[in-house]
Amino acid sequence: MAIIVSVNQSNSWHGDALSLQVALSALFGFVNTLIWALTGGGYFWPAWVWLALGIAAGVHAVVVHGVRATPGRYRKLRIHGEATGLILAVYVAIWILSGAGYFWPVWPTSIFLLALGIHAIVVQWRPESREQELVERVDELTRTRRGAVDVQAAELRRIERDLHDGAQARLVALSMHLGRAEARLDDQPELAELVRRARQEAGSAISELRDLARGIAPPVLADRGLAAALDGLGRRAAIPVTVDATIDKRPPPVVETAAYFVAAEALTNSAKHAGGAAARVYAAMADDRLVVEVSDSGTGGADPAGSGLTGLRHRVEALDGTLTVTSPPGHGTTVLAELPCGS
Amino acid sequence: MRVVIAEDLALLREGIVALLRDAGIDVVAQAEDGEGLLRIVGGHKPDLAIVDVRLPPSFTDEGLRAALEARRRQPGLGVLILSQYVEPVYTSELLASSGDGGIGYLLKERVGDVRGFVDAIERVASGGTALDRAVVTELMHARDGGGGPFAELTPREREVMELMAEGRTNAAIARAMVVQPGAVEKHISSIFGKLDLPATDDDHRRVLAVLAYLRAP
Repeated sequence: MAIIVSVNQSNSWHGDALSLQVALSALFGFVNTLIWALTGGGYFWPAWVWLALGIAAGVHAVVVHGVRATPGRYRKLRIHGEATGLILAVYVAIWILSGAGYFWPVWPTSIFLLALGIHAIVVQWRPESREQELVERVDELTRTRRGAVDVQAAELRRIERDLHDGAQARLVALSMHLGRAEARLDDQPELAELVRRARQEAGSAISELRDLARGIAPPVLADRGLAAALDGLGRRAAIPVTVDATIDKRPPPVVETAAYFVAAEALTNSAKHAGGAAARVYAAMADDRLVVEVSDSGTGGADPAGSGLTGLRHRVEALDGTLTVTSPPGHGTTVLAELPCGS
Repeated sequence: MRVVIAEDLALLREGIVALLRDAGIDVVAQAEDGEGLLRIVGGHKPDLAIVDVRLPPSFTDEGLRAALEARRRQPGLGVLILSQYVEPVYTSELLASSGDGGIGYLLKERVGDVRGFVDAIERVASGGTALDRAVVTELMHARDGGGGPFAELTPREREVMELMAEGRTNAAIARAMVVQPGAVEKHISSIFGKLDLPATDDDHRRVLAVLAYLRAP
Protein backbone atom coordinates (compact mmCIF):
# COMPACT_ATOMS: atom_id res chain seq x y z
CA MET A 1 0.00 0.00 0.00
CA ALA A 2 2.78 2.37 0.93
CA ILE A 3 4.41 1.83 -2.48
CA ILE A 4 1.21 2.59 -4.39
CA VAL A 5 0.69 5.80 -2.42
CA SER A 6 4.22 7.02 -3.14
CA VAL A 7 3.82 6.22 -6.85
CA ASN A 8 0.60 8.20 -6.97
CA GLN A 9 2.27 11.14 -5.32
CA SER A 10 5.22 11.10 -7.71
CA ASN A 11 3.09 10.80 -10.86
CA SER A 12 2.82 14.52 -11.42
CA TRP A 13 6.54 14.91 -10.81
CA HIS A 14 7.27 12.31 -13.52
CA GLY A 15 4.94 14.12 -15.91
CA ASP A 16 6.59 17.48 -15.24
CA ALA A 17 10.05 15.99 -15.75
CA LEU A 18 9.01 14.53 -19.13
CA SER A 19 7.54 17.85 -20.31
CA LEU A 20 10.72 19.66 -19.23
CA GLN A 21 12.88 17.12 -21.06
CA VAL A 22 10.79 17.47 -24.24
CA ALA A 23 11.03 21.27 -24.04
CA LEU A 24 14.82 21.28 -23.46
CA SER A 25 15.33 18.66 -26.21
CA ALA A 26 13.32 20.76 -28.66
CA LEU A 27 15.37 23.84 -27.75
CA PHE A 28 18.69 21.94 -28.13
CA GLY A 29 17.59 20.44 -31.48
CA PHE A 30 16.50 23.81 -32.74
CA VAL A 31 19.84 25.39 -31.77
CA ASN A 32 21.70 22.62 -33.64
CA THR A 33 19.52 23.09 -36.72
CA LEU A 34 20.14 26.84 -36.51
CA ILE A 35 23.91 26.26 -36.36
CA TRP A 36 23.62 23.90 -39.41
CA ALA A 37 21.74 26.64 -41.33
CA LEU A 38 24.20 29.37 -40.32
CA THR A 39 27.21 27.21 -41.33
CA GLY A 40 25.90 26.93 -44.87
CA GLY A 41 23.63 23.86 -44.88
CA GLY A 42 25.04 20.80 -46.69
CA TYR A 43 24.60 17.31 -45.22
CA PHE A 44 21.76 17.58 -42.68
CA TRP A 45 23.71 16.22 -39.69
CA PRO A 46 21.26 17.64 -37.03
CA ALA A 47 18.93 14.77 -37.99
CA TRP A 48 21.15 12.49 -35.84
CA VAL A 49 20.93 14.96 -32.96
CA TRP A 50 17.15 14.96 -33.27
CA LEU A 51 17.19 11.14 -33.31
CA ALA A 52 19.29 10.93 -30.11
CA LEU A 53 17.02 13.45 -28.36
CA GLY A 54 13.95 11.54 -29.55
CA ILE A 55 15.32 8.23 -28.22
CA ALA A 56 16.02 9.76 -24.79
CA ALA A 57 12.54 11.32 -24.60
CA GLY A 58 10.92 8.09 -25.83
CA VAL A 59 12.69 5.99 -23.18
CA HIS A 60 11.63 8.51 -20.57
CA ALA A 61 8.00 8.42 -21.76
CA VAL A 62 7.90 4.59 -21.74
CA VAL A 63 9.32 4.51 -18.19
CA VAL A 64 6.82 7.12 -16.94
CA HIS A 65 3.93 5.31 -18.62
CA GLY A 66 5.08 1.98 -17.20
CA VAL A 67 5.23 3.33 -13.65
CA ARG A 68 1.77 4.86 -13.98
CA ALA A 69 0.12 1.78 -15.49
CA THR A 70 -2.43 0.10 -13.18
CA PRO A 71 -1.17 -3.18 -11.71
CA GLY A 72 -2.66 -6.25 -13.32
CA ARG A 73 -1.83 -9.23 -15.44
CA TYR A 74 -1.34 -7.13 -18.64
CA ARG A 75 0.96 -4.47 -17.18
CA LYS A 76 4.28 -6.12 -18.05
CA LEU A 77 3.04 -7.01 -21.52
CA ARG A 78 2.00 -3.41 -22.18
CA ILE A 79 5.40 -2.06 -21.13
CA HIS A 80 7.08 -4.71 -23.28
CA GLY A 81 4.91 -3.63 -26.25
CA GLU A 82 5.72 0.05 -25.82
CA ALA A 83 9.46 -0.64 -25.53
CA THR A 84 9.33 -2.81 -28.68
CA GLY A 85 7.49 -0.05 -30.52
CA LEU A 86 10.14 2.49 -29.54
CA ILE A 87 13.03 0.24 -30.64
CA LEU A 88 11.36 -0.48 -34.01
CA ALA A 89 10.73 3.25 -34.55
CA VAL A 90 14.43 3.91 -33.88
CA TYR A 91 15.45 1.22 -36.42
CA VAL A 92 13.22 2.72 -39.10
CA ALA A 93 14.49 6.24 -38.34
CA ILE A 94 18.12 5.06 -38.66
CA TRP A 95 17.26 3.24 -41.92
CA ILE A 96 15.71 6.44 -43.36
CA LEU A 97 18.58 8.62 -42.20
CA SER A 98 21.17 6.23 -43.62
CA GLY A 99 19.65 6.44 -47.11
CA ALA A 100 16.64 4.12 -47.13
CA GLY A 101 18.39 1.36 -49.11
CA TYR A 102 17.90 -2.37 -48.46
CA PHE A 103 15.28 -2.62 -45.64
CA TRP A 104 17.52 -4.39 -43.11
CA PRO A 105 15.35 -3.54 -40.04
CA VAL A 106 13.06 -6.38 -41.12
CA TRP A 107 15.37 -8.90 -39.36
CA PRO A 108 15.66 -7.38 -35.87
CA THR A 109 11.98 -6.34 -36.15
CA SER A 110 10.84 -9.93 -36.68
CA ILE A 111 12.84 -11.13 -33.69
CA PHE A 112 11.43 -8.41 -31.40
CA LEU A 113 7.86 -9.04 -32.60
CA LEU A 114 8.32 -12.79 -32.09
CA ALA A 115 9.46 -12.17 -28.48
CA LEU A 116 6.45 -9.92 -27.92
CA GLY A 117 4.10 -12.54 -29.39
CA ILE A 118 5.47 -15.28 -27.11
CA HIS A 119 5.10 -12.99 -24.11
CA ALA A 120 1.47 -12.28 -25.04
CA ILE A 121 0.67 -16.01 -25.38
CA VAL A 122 2.29 -16.81 -22.04
CA VAL A 123 0.33 -14.05 -20.27
CA GLN A 124 -2.89 -15.16 -21.89
CA TRP A 125 -2.48 -18.81 -20.93
CA ARG A 126 -1.07 -18.58 -17.43
CA PRO A 127 -3.01 -16.63 -14.80
CA GLU A 128 -0.95 -13.94 -13.25
CA SER A 129 1.08 -15.32 -10.36
CA ARG A 130 -0.58 -13.21 -7.63
CA GLU A 131 -4.00 -14.28 -8.77
CA GLN A 132 -2.82 -17.89 -8.87
CA GLU A 133 -1.37 -17.53 -5.40
CA LEU A 134 -4.67 -16.26 -3.99
CA VAL A 135 -6.64 -19.03 -5.67
CA GLU A 136 -4.28 -21.62 -4.19
CA ARG A 137 -4.44 -19.98 -0.77
CA VAL A 138 -8.24 -20.01 -0.75
CA ASP A 139 -8.21 -23.69 -1.79
CA GLU A 140 -5.77 -24.49 0.98
CA LEU A 141 -7.76 -22.60 3.62
CA THR A 142 -11.00 -24.27 2.58
CA ARG A 143 -9.30 -27.67 2.76
CA THR A 144 -7.64 -27.10 6.14
CA ARG A 145 -10.82 -25.61 7.63
CA ARG A 146 -12.79 -28.67 6.52
CA GLY A 147 -9.98 -30.84 7.89
CA ALA A 148 -10.17 -29.07 11.26
CA VAL A 149 -13.95 -29.54 11.38
CA ASP A 150 -13.54 -33.25 10.49
CA VAL A 151 -10.85 -33.75 13.14
CA GLN A 152 -13.05 -32.07 15.73
CA ALA A 153 -16.02 -34.29 14.84
CA ALA A 154 -13.86 -37.44 15.03
CA GLU A 155 -12.52 -36.29 18.39
CA LEU A 156 -16.03 -35.77 19.75
CA ARG A 157 -17.07 -39.25 18.59
CA ARG A 158 -14.01 -40.66 20.35
CA ILE A 159 -14.94 -38.88 23.59
CA GLU A 160 -18.50 -40.25 23.37
CA ARG A 161 -17.11 -43.76 22.86
CA ASP A 162 -14.66 -43.40 25.74
CA LEU A 163 -17.51 -42.31 28.02
CA HIS A 164 -19.63 -45.24 26.85
CA ASP A 165 -16.94 -47.89 27.33
CA GLY A 166 -15.30 -46.19 30.31
CA ALA A 167 -17.07 -44.15 32.95
CA GLN A 168 -20.61 -45.16 31.96
CA ALA A 169 -19.77 -48.89 31.90
CA ARG A 170 -18.00 -48.66 35.28
CA LEU A 171 -21.00 -46.90 36.80
CA VAL A 172 -23.30 -49.60 35.43
CA ALA A 173 -21.01 -52.26 36.94
CA LEU A 174 -21.03 -50.35 40.23
CA SER A 175 -24.80 -50.23 40.14
CA MET A 176 -24.92 -54.00 39.54
CA HIS A 177 -22.65 -54.72 42.51
CA LEU A 178 -24.75 -52.46 44.70
CA GLY A 179 -27.88 -54.22 43.48
CA ARG A 180 -26.42 -57.63 44.37
CA ALA A 181 -25.42 -56.35 47.81
CA GLU A 182 -28.89 -54.92 48.31
CA ALA A 183 -30.48 -58.26 47.44
CA ARG A 184 -28.42 -59.97 50.17
CA LEU A 185 -29.42 -57.46 52.83
CA ASP A 186 -33.06 -58.48 53.14
CA ASP A 187 -32.60 -59.07 56.87
CA GLN A 188 -30.99 -55.64 57.45
CA PRO A 189 -33.45 -53.09 56.05
CA GLU A 190 -31.48 -50.01 57.20
CA LEU A 191 -28.32 -51.13 55.43
CA ALA A 192 -30.35 -52.20 52.41
CA GLU A 193 -31.87 -48.71 52.25
CA LEU A 194 -28.39 -47.11 52.28
CA VAL A 195 -27.23 -49.36 49.48
CA ARG A 196 -30.38 -48.62 47.50
CA ARG A 197 -29.73 -44.89 47.81
CA ALA A 198 -26.16 -45.38 46.65
CA ARG A 199 -27.49 -47.30 43.65
CA GLN A 200 -29.93 -44.49 42.84
CA GLU A 201 -27.06 -41.98 42.91
CA ALA A 202 -25.13 -44.19 40.51
CA GLY A 203 -28.25 -44.27 38.32
CA SER A 204 -28.48 -40.47 38.30
CA ALA A 205 -24.80 -40.21 37.39
CA ILE A 206 -25.33 -42.64 34.48
CA SER A 207 -28.32 -40.63 33.33
CA GLU A 208 -26.38 -37.34 33.44
CA LEU A 209 -23.46 -38.90 31.60
CA ARG A 210 -25.87 -40.17 28.96
CA ASP A 211 -27.23 -36.67 28.34
CA LEU A 212 -23.68 -35.32 28.21
CA ALA A 213 -22.53 -38.01 25.76
CA ARG A 214 -25.58 -37.55 23.56
CA GLY A 215 -24.95 -33.80 23.56
CA ILE A 216 -21.37 -34.40 22.37
CA ALA A 217 -22.08 -36.86 19.54
CA PRO A 218 -25.40 -38.74 19.39
CA PRO A 219 -24.58 -42.35 18.34
CA VAL A 220 -27.83 -42.79 16.41
CA LEU A 221 -26.72 -40.00 14.08
CA ALA A 222 -23.71 -42.04 12.96
CA ASP A 223 -25.70 -45.32 12.90
CA ARG A 224 -28.92 -44.33 11.22
CA GLY A 225 -28.49 -40.82 9.91
CA LEU A 226 -30.14 -37.48 10.41
CA ALA A 227 -33.81 -38.42 9.97
CA ALA A 228 -33.68 -41.05 12.76
CA ALA A 229 -31.71 -38.73 15.04
CA LEU A 230 -34.18 -35.87 14.48
CA ASP A 231 -37.06 -38.24 15.22
CA GLY A 232 -35.51 -39.12 18.60
CA LEU A 233 -34.82 -35.45 19.26
CA GLY A 234 -38.45 -34.55 18.60
CA ARG A 235 -39.72 -37.27 20.92
CA ARG A 236 -37.43 -36.25 23.77
CA ALA A 237 -38.32 -32.56 23.49
CA ALA A 238 -40.26 -30.91 26.29
CA ILE A 239 -42.86 -29.57 23.82
CA PRO A 240 -44.93 -31.33 21.12
CA VAL A 241 -42.78 -31.63 17.99
CA THR A 242 -43.66 -32.79 14.48
CA VAL A 243 -40.68 -34.08 12.51
CA ASP A 244 -40.77 -34.14 8.72
CA ALA A 245 -37.42 -35.40 7.49
CA THR A 246 -36.91 -37.08 4.13
CA ILE A 247 -33.26 -37.51 3.25
CA ASP A 248 -32.60 -40.20 0.64
CA LYS A 249 -28.86 -39.64 0.24
CA ARG A 250 -26.74 -39.31 3.39
CA PRO A 251 -24.80 -36.03 3.53
CA PRO A 252 -21.18 -36.00 4.83
CA PRO A 253 -21.02 -36.70 8.61
CA VAL A 254 -19.95 -33.15 9.55
CA VAL A 255 -22.93 -31.72 7.65
CA GLU A 256 -25.32 -34.16 9.38
CA THR A 257 -23.85 -33.27 12.75
CA ALA A 258 -24.17 -29.51 12.14
CA ALA A 259 -27.79 -29.94 11.00
CA TYR A 260 -28.56 -32.06 14.07
CA PHE A 261 -27.17 -29.49 16.47
CA VAL A 262 -29.02 -26.66 14.71
CA ALA A 263 -32.28 -28.58 15.30
CA ALA A 264 -31.31 -29.50 18.89
CA GLU A 265 -30.42 -25.93 19.85
CA ALA A 266 -33.45 -24.42 18.09
CA LEU A 267 -35.79 -26.91 19.81
CA THR A 268 -34.21 -26.16 23.19
CA ASN A 269 -34.82 -22.45 22.55
CA SER A 270 -38.41 -23.12 21.48
CA ALA A 271 -39.06 -25.16 24.63
CA LYS A 272 -37.55 -22.37 26.73
CA HIS A 273 -39.16 -19.34 25.11
CA ALA A 274 -42.17 -20.42 23.07
CA GLY A 275 -44.38 -20.94 26.13
CA GLY A 276 -45.21 -24.59 25.41
CA ALA A 277 -46.28 -23.91 21.81
CA ALA A 278 -45.78 -26.72 19.28
CA ALA A 279 -42.71 -26.84 17.05
CA ARG A 280 -42.01 -28.36 13.66
CA VAL A 281 -38.74 -29.72 12.31
CA TYR A 282 -38.31 -30.00 8.56
CA ALA A 283 -35.24 -31.45 6.85
CA ALA A 284 -34.65 -32.24 3.18
CA MET A 285 -32.04 -32.25 0.45
CA ALA A 286 -32.39 -29.57 -2.23
CA ASP A 287 -29.87 -29.29 -5.08
CA ASP A 288 -27.00 -30.84 -3.14
CA ARG A 289 -27.82 -28.64 -0.16
CA LEU A 290 -29.17 -29.90 3.14
CA VAL A 291 -31.96 -27.67 4.43
CA VAL A 292 -33.05 -27.81 8.08
CA GLU A 293 -35.83 -25.64 9.41
CA VAL A 294 -37.19 -25.45 12.94
CA SER A 295 -40.26 -23.30 13.46
CA ASP A 296 -42.47 -22.73 16.47
CA SER A 297 -45.73 -20.88 16.97
CA GLY A 298 -44.51 -19.10 20.08
CA THR A 299 -44.10 -15.44 20.92
CA GLY A 300 -41.22 -14.69 18.53
CA GLY A 301 -38.82 -11.85 19.22
CA ALA A 302 -35.70 -14.05 19.48
CA ASP A 303 -32.37 -12.24 19.48
CA PRO A 304 -30.37 -13.49 16.46
CA ALA A 305 -27.20 -12.20 18.17
CA GLY A 306 -27.82 -14.34 21.29
CA SER A 307 -25.01 -16.69 22.26
CA GLY A 308 -26.86 -19.88 21.26
CA LEU A 309 -27.75 -18.66 17.79
CA THR A 310 -24.31 -17.09 17.27
CA GLY A 311 -22.70 -20.44 18.12
CA LEU A 312 -24.95 -22.16 15.58
CA ARG A 313 -24.13 -19.56 12.97
CA HIS A 314 -20.39 -20.15 13.42
CA ARG A 315 -20.93 -23.89 13.16
CA VAL A 316 -22.93 -23.51 9.94
CA GLU A 317 -20.64 -20.91 8.39
CA ALA A 318 -17.60 -23.12 9.02
CA LEU A 319 -19.19 -25.42 6.41
CA ASP A 320 -19.94 -22.53 3.99
CA GLY A 321 -23.61 -22.69 4.94
CA THR A 322 -26.05 -19.97 5.95
CA LEU A 323 -28.26 -19.58 9.00
CA THR A 324 -31.36 -17.39 8.91
CA VAL A 325 -33.42 -16.51 11.98
CA THR A 326 -36.86 -14.99 11.46
CA SER A 327 -38.62 -14.01 14.66
CA PRO A 328 -41.16 -11.19 14.40
CA PRO A 329 -42.71 -10.44 17.83
CA GLY A 330 -45.96 -12.36 18.21
CA HIS A 331 -45.47 -14.56 15.15
CA GLY A 332 -43.23 -17.41 16.24
CA THR A 333 -39.61 -18.14 15.44
CA THR A 334 -38.11 -19.87 12.42
CA VAL A 335 -34.49 -20.99 12.28
CA LEU A 336 -33.36 -22.04 8.81
CA ALA A 337 -29.98 -23.56 8.02
CA GLU A 338 -28.75 -24.36 4.52
CA LEU A 339 -25.63 -26.49 4.27
CA PRO A 340 -23.78 -27.34 1.04
CA CYS A 341 -23.02 -31.07 0.79
CA GLY A 342 -20.36 -30.93 -1.93
CA SER A 343 -17.08 -32.59 -1.00
CA MET B 1 -34.29 -71.23 31.81
CA ARG B 2 -31.43 -71.07 29.31
CA VAL B 3 -29.96 -67.65 28.76
CA VAL B 4 -27.18 -66.41 26.47
CA ILE B 5 -25.55 -63.00 26.61
CA ALA B 6 -23.79 -60.81 24.01
CA GLU B 7 -21.81 -57.93 25.52
CA ASP B 8 -18.34 -56.79 24.49
CA LEU B 9 -17.32 -55.17 27.78
CA ALA B 10 -16.05 -57.98 30.05
CA LEU B 11 -16.79 -55.88 33.13
CA LEU B 12 -20.49 -55.75 32.34
CA ARG B 13 -20.76 -59.24 30.88
CA GLU B 14 -19.25 -60.87 33.96
CA GLY B 15 -21.29 -58.63 36.25
CA ILE B 16 -24.55 -59.69 34.61
CA VAL B 17 -23.53 -63.36 34.65
CA ALA B 18 -22.75 -63.17 38.40
CA LEU B 19 -25.98 -61.32 39.10
CA LEU B 20 -28.03 -63.91 37.25
CA ARG B 21 -26.20 -66.76 38.98
CA ASP B 22 -27.23 -65.23 42.33
CA ALA B 23 -30.81 -65.33 41.10
CA GLY B 24 -30.49 -68.97 40.05
CA ILE B 25 -30.48 -68.27 36.31
CA ASP B 26 -27.90 -70.13 34.27
CA VAL B 27 -26.06 -68.29 31.49
CA VAL B 28 -25.22 -71.11 29.09
CA ALA B 29 -23.02 -69.14 26.67
CA GLN B 30 -21.46 -65.72 26.16
CA ALA B 31 -20.53 -63.78 23.03
CA GLU B 32 -18.61 -60.58 22.34
CA ASP B 33 -20.02 -59.63 18.96
CA GLY B 34 -22.98 -60.08 16.64
CA GLU B 35 -21.65 -63.09 14.78
CA GLY B 36 -20.83 -64.75 18.08
CA LEU B 37 -24.42 -64.20 19.22
CA LEU B 38 -25.84 -65.92 16.14
CA ARG B 39 -23.41 -68.80 16.67
CA ILE B 40 -24.32 -69.42 20.32
CA VAL B 41 -28.04 -69.00 19.68
CA GLY B 42 -27.79 -71.60 16.90
CA GLY B 43 -25.74 -73.96 19.08
CA HIS B 44 -27.47 -73.68 22.46
CA LYS B 45 -31.11 -72.98 21.47
CA PRO B 46 -31.65 -70.72 24.50
CA ASP B 47 -34.95 -69.30 25.78
CA LEU B 48 -33.57 -65.79 25.98
CA ALA B 49 -30.75 -63.68 24.57
CA ILE B 50 -29.57 -60.60 26.47
CA VAL B 51 -27.90 -58.32 23.90
CA ASP B 52 -26.07 -55.00 24.05
CA VAL B 53 -27.09 -52.73 21.13
CA ARG B 54 -23.55 -51.57 20.44
CA LEU B 55 -21.11 -54.37 19.64
CA PRO B 56 -17.90 -54.78 17.66
CA PRO B 57 -16.71 -54.59 14.96
CA SER B 58 -18.75 -51.54 13.92
CA PHE B 59 -19.67 -50.33 17.43
CA THR B 60 -22.92 -48.90 16.09
CA ASP B 61 -26.06 -51.04 16.27
CA GLU B 62 -24.46 -54.38 15.43
CA GLY B 63 -26.00 -56.04 18.50
CA LEU B 64 -29.54 -54.96 17.64
CA ARG B 65 -29.22 -56.22 14.07
CA ALA B 66 -27.83 -59.57 15.22
CA ALA B 67 -30.59 -59.90 17.84
CA LEU B 68 -33.32 -59.28 15.24
CA GLU B 69 -31.72 -61.85 12.96
CA ALA B 70 -31.52 -64.38 15.83
CA ARG B 71 -35.18 -63.73 16.65
CA ARG B 72 -36.10 -64.38 13.02
CA ARG B 73 -34.06 -67.60 12.86
CA GLN B 74 -35.14 -69.18 16.12
CA PRO B 75 -38.88 -69.35 16.86
CA GLY B 76 -39.76 -68.56 20.46
CA LEU B 77 -36.44 -66.88 21.28
CA GLY B 78 -36.94 -64.01 23.71
CA VAL B 79 -34.73 -60.96 23.07
CA LEU B 80 -33.84 -58.49 25.78
CA ILE B 81 -31.90 -55.50 24.46
CA LEU B 82 -29.67 -53.49 26.78
CA SER B 83 -28.49 -50.03 25.78
CA GLN B 84 -27.05 -46.82 27.15
CA TYR B 85 -29.53 -44.95 24.97
CA VAL B 86 -33.19 -45.14 24.14
CA GLU B 87 -33.76 -44.35 20.47
CA PRO B 88 -37.19 -44.63 18.85
CA VAL B 89 -35.64 -46.03 15.68
CA TYR B 90 -34.19 -49.00 17.60
CA THR B 91 -37.30 -49.74 19.64
CA SER B 92 -39.54 -49.44 16.58
CA GLU B 93 -37.38 -51.96 14.72
CA LEU B 94 -37.51 -54.31 17.68
CA LEU B 95 -41.30 -54.01 17.91
CA ALA B 96 -41.70 -54.47 14.16
CA SER B 97 -39.33 -57.45 13.90
CA SER B 98 -40.66 -60.84 12.94
CA GLY B 99 -40.60 -63.62 15.51
CA ASP B 100 -42.95 -64.91 18.16
CA GLY B 101 -40.73 -64.72 21.26
CA GLY B 102 -40.91 -62.04 23.91
CA ILE B 103 -39.13 -58.70 23.52
CA GLY B 104 -37.60 -56.25 25.93
CA TYR B 105 -35.56 -53.06 25.79
CA LEU B 106 -33.95 -51.74 28.95
CA LEU B 107 -31.48 -49.00 29.76
CA LYS B 108 -28.32 -50.58 31.17
CA GLU B 109 -28.62 -48.96 34.57
CA ARG B 110 -31.86 -50.86 35.21
CA VAL B 111 -29.70 -53.97 35.70
CA GLY B 112 -28.82 -52.61 39.15
CA ASP B 113 -32.42 -53.15 40.24
CA VAL B 114 -31.86 -56.90 40.58
CA ARG B 115 -35.45 -57.87 41.29
CA GLY B 116 -36.82 -55.75 38.46
CA PHE B 117 -34.20 -57.06 36.05
CA VAL B 118 -34.85 -60.70 36.91
CA ASP B 119 -38.59 -60.09 36.54
CA ALA B 120 -38.02 -58.59 33.10
CA ILE B 121 -35.88 -61.57 32.08
CA GLU B 122 -38.56 -64.04 33.18
CA ARG B 123 -41.30 -62.10 31.38
CA VAL B 124 -39.42 -61.87 28.10
CA ALA B 125 -38.29 -65.51 28.29
CA SER B 126 -41.93 -66.57 28.63
CA GLY B 127 -43.07 -64.51 25.64
CA GLY B 128 -43.99 -61.21 27.33
CA THR B 129 -42.63 -57.69 27.02
CA ALA B 130 -40.36 -55.58 29.21
CA LEU B 131 -39.91 -52.07 27.98
CA ASP B 132 -38.03 -49.36 29.81
CA ARG B 133 -40.32 -46.55 30.95
CA ALA B 134 -38.09 -44.21 28.91
CA VAL B 135 -38.89 -46.31 25.82
CA VAL B 136 -42.61 -46.10 26.49
CA THR B 137 -42.45 -42.36 27.12
CA GLU B 138 -40.66 -41.75 23.82
CA LEU B 139 -43.00 -43.99 21.86
CA MET B 140 -46.01 -42.28 23.41
CA HIS B 141 -44.71 -38.78 22.77
CA ALA B 142 -46.60 -36.94 20.05
CA ARG B 143 -49.16 -39.80 20.00
CA ASP B 144 -51.87 -37.49 21.37
CA GLY B 145 -54.44 -36.64 18.77
CA GLY B 146 -53.76 -39.76 16.68
CA GLY B 147 -56.72 -41.69 15.30
CA GLY B 148 -57.48 -45.40 15.53
CA PRO B 149 -58.90 -47.44 18.41
CA PHE B 150 -56.40 -45.86 20.83
CA ALA B 151 -58.09 -42.47 20.47
CA GLU B 152 -61.06 -44.02 22.27
CA LEU B 153 -59.07 -44.82 25.42
CA THR B 154 -59.79 -42.65 28.43
CA PRO B 155 -56.83 -40.89 30.10
CA ARG B 156 -56.94 -43.49 32.92
CA GLU B 157 -56.96 -46.37 30.42
CA ARG B 158 -54.07 -44.76 28.59
CA GLU B 159 -52.12 -44.63 31.83
CA VAL B 160 -52.85 -48.31 32.46
CA MET B 161 -51.78 -49.06 28.89
CA GLU B 162 -48.41 -47.34 29.37
CA LEU B 163 -47.73 -49.21 32.60
CA MET B 164 -48.69 -52.46 30.88
CA ALA B 165 -46.29 -51.62 28.08
CA GLU B 166 -43.49 -51.36 30.62
CA GLY B 167 -44.41 -54.92 31.51
CA ARG B 168 -45.89 -54.29 34.95
CA THR B 169 -48.26 -56.71 36.67
CA ASN B 170 -51.77 -55.71 37.70
CA ALA B 171 -50.67 -55.39 41.32
CA ALA B 172 -47.77 -53.11 40.32
CA ILE B 173 -50.05 -51.01 38.13
CA ALA B 174 -52.51 -50.65 41.00
CA ARG B 175 -49.68 -49.52 43.30
CA ALA B 176 -48.37 -47.00 40.74
CA MET B 177 -51.83 -45.52 40.15
CA VAL B 178 -52.85 -45.72 43.83
CA VAL B 179 -56.06 -47.66 43.06
CA GLN B 180 -57.49 -51.07 43.98
CA PRO B 181 -56.35 -54.06 41.85
CA GLY B 182 -60.00 -54.57 40.93
CA ALA B 183 -60.11 -51.13 39.29
CA VAL B 184 -57.06 -52.02 37.19
CA GLU B 185 -58.69 -55.23 36.02
CA LYS B 186 -61.78 -53.26 34.97
CA HIS B 187 -59.67 -50.79 32.96
CA ILE B 188 -57.81 -53.63 31.29
CA SER B 189 -60.92 -55.51 30.22
CA SER B 190 -62.32 -52.24 28.88
CA ILE B 191 -59.10 -51.76 26.87
CA PHE B 192 -59.31 -55.32 25.49
CA GLY B 193 -62.88 -54.61 24.47
CA LYS B 194 -62.04 -51.36 22.70
CA LEU B 195 -59.15 -52.99 20.87
CA ASP B 196 -61.36 -55.89 19.82
CA LEU B 197 -58.84 -58.53 20.92
CA PRO B 198 -59.70 -62.24 20.66
CA ALA B 199 -60.75 -63.89 23.89
CA THR B 200 -57.70 -66.05 24.58
CA ASP B 201 -55.77 -66.23 27.85
CA ASP B 202 -55.15 -62.91 29.56
CA ASP B 203 -51.34 -62.91 29.31
CA HIS B 204 -51.45 -63.31 25.58
CA ARG B 205 -54.09 -60.61 25.12
CA ARG B 206 -52.01 -58.35 27.29
CA VAL B 207 -48.96 -58.74 25.04
CA LEU B 208 -51.06 -58.25 21.92
CA ALA B 209 -52.58 -55.07 23.35
CA VAL B 210 -49.19 -53.67 24.29
CA LEU B 211 -47.66 -54.45 20.92
CA ALA B 212 -50.65 -53.02 19.06
CA TYR B 213 -50.44 -49.89 21.17
CA LEU B 214 -46.71 -49.39 20.66
CA ARG B 215 -46.76 -50.18 16.96
CA ALA B 216 -49.67 -47.86 16.20
CA PRO B 217 -48.44 -44.93 14.09
